[in-house]
Amino acid sequence: MHEATLAENILNIALEAARQNHAAKVFKVGLTLGDMAGVEVEALNLSFDVLKKDTSAEDAELVIKRVPISATCNQCGKTFRLERYNFFCPDCDGVLILQSGRELLVDFVDCE
Amino acid sequence: MKNILGANDDLAALNRKMFADSGVVVMNLMGSPGSGKTTLLEQTLTRLADKIRIAVIEGDLFTAKDAERIERAGVDVIQINTAGGCHLDAAMIQKACASLDLAAIDLLIVENVGNLVCPAEFDLGETFKAVVLSITEGDDKPLKYPLIFKESAVTLLNKIDLLPFTNFDVKSARNDLTTLHPSIKIFETSCTLGTGLDAWCAWLLERAAV
Repeated sequence: MHEATLAENILNIALEAARQNHAAKVFKVGLTLGDMAGVEVEALNLSFDVLKKDTSAEDAELVIKRVPISATCNQCGKTFRLERYNFFCPDCDGVLILQSGRELLVDFVDCE
Repeated sequence: MKNILGANDDLAALNRKMFADSGVVVMNLMGSPGSGKTTLLEQTLTRLADKIRIAVIEGDLFTAKDAERIERAGVDVIQINTAGGCHLDAAMIQKACASLDLAAIDLLIVENVGNLVCPAEFDLGETFKAVVLSITEGDDKPLKYPLIFKESAVTLLNKIDLLPFTNFDVKSARNDLTTLHPSIKIFETSCTLGTGLDAWCAWLLERAAV
């Protein structure tokens, strides 16, 4: 249940962005979450909804974009999308190095 | 674009520098509640305490039970109570290290809160992560909790003596671990029988002597 920590950090980033832009209200917070990042979206939304009360992000919603797991072979250089966490290259003897899927990012803060 | 865990990562980077400056190797020891982390730690300390200087940070939700056990092994131990928090973070480690003489130790072992999910996301500034998977948890765990096994340099298949009483398939678990993390080191251990502990401690000693 580290989603509460993540939600707290997201809220802090959003409120800071609103402060810097002299905005009174946050409407949307855009997130990019990798498929391999250990995040339960339902728990994240729930935590965010509890924490945002009585802040300028009170009406804000999380807009979530998921990123699939992709990895590049250290031998042949090909990039693959991973389904079953198999980090051996299907085409050669190489090992796949993770390129995306670990993202935990705030993309944008929509405020006014 | 801002990293949600950016504040923790920044502190972890400071910790990592502090550890490097003091020449301390730090192992972040993770695993489910009841996987045998603390017993493994006790056995490890018994074998290594006269070879290198070790200190321990014990993460626990509320109690100091584990820290008391480690203290009996004659090693400096700092207790962190997360008061319900499911993982340790870099700030807690930074605070705990303030009461440790890092220059006087070679290896710092951080026993994380028992959990296969949350601790994997929080960089503490450690040198490497280790995860304990006990036989009774089932051989499907690496693919169910891929991140923690992907992040860990080493996995201990612990309580290996219980193998005859379960349907745990070591070959399948090893195969899943290796496909998920091709360079992962795997040890099969039993703290009751002492199986695999010498090999594990030799490996750890080598890592800590760098």
